[in-house]
Amino acid sequence: MRIYEELFIIKPDSPDEEVDQFVEQLRTQLTNTGATVDKVDKWGKRRLAYRVGKYREGTYVLFQFTSEPHSVKELERRLRVADVVLKFITVRIDETLKRLDKRKKERDKRAAKRAAAAPPSSAPAQPALPGAPQHIEGAPAAMPGVPKEA
Amino acid sequence: MPESKGRPGSAGQRPTGGDKAVATQKKQYFRRKKVCRFCVEKIDDINYKDVKLLHAFVAERGKIIPRRISGVCAPHQRRLTDAIKKARNIALLPFAASI
Repeated sequence: MRIYEELFIIKPDSPDEEVDQFVEQLRTQLTNTGATVDKVDKWGKRRLAYRVGKYREGTYVLFQFTSEPHSVKELERRLRVADVVLKFITVRIDETLKRLDKRKKERDKRAAKRAAAAPPSSAPAQPALPGAPQHIEGAPAAMPGVPKEA
Repeated sequence: MPESKGRPGSAGQRPTGGDKAVATQKKQYFRRKKVCRFCVEKIDDINYKDVKLLHAFVAERGKIIPRRISGVCAPHQRRLTDAIKKARNIALLPFAASI
């Protein structure tokens, strides 16, 4: 199973109920082919960066779903055939998500390590400053326990 | 002997990056060091849907800004170009913008 993202543009002059119906139809069709739809997000009307056909704006709809490759093929075919769709793009995102997750975990781990290392490292840094040259000789033994008595 | 003479580009004579740095120091003008925005701000995800972010790396005419100018590091520039090209395909960014 792979995670995909499908972003498509619907003609701006098509009525709302027709758009809703079309989106619903796509969703049921996806579930019928064994996909699970994770997210449906309607961005609403947006200006297009360039003219597509005769349209300068369009309604963006975003699908996120988990499925096998064959149901993507079917979905794309449907989008291509549908009159109301101006443009669509399919992006496979499971590997990107995995990579991002890994990065985030690494970041968190490093942050945790830094947080753990910070209190002990900052404490000896302050007393070390005034008498730095002296500390080098006797520091290792005296540091953790009782620097004042030594 | 003739062999070594025949090689003009041996390591010792070739101008290296270090020489260049000296030359710029001699001229004594200061150039601000460029940093990769994605590294500094720790942006992991360069997404094609994030038009606001991508817009900063596209020139007025819609061209991708080269990293020699923007200062983005190579791995991030690769992801950035990918994202920009995807965004173009779905009409979020222009292929060629009219000013």
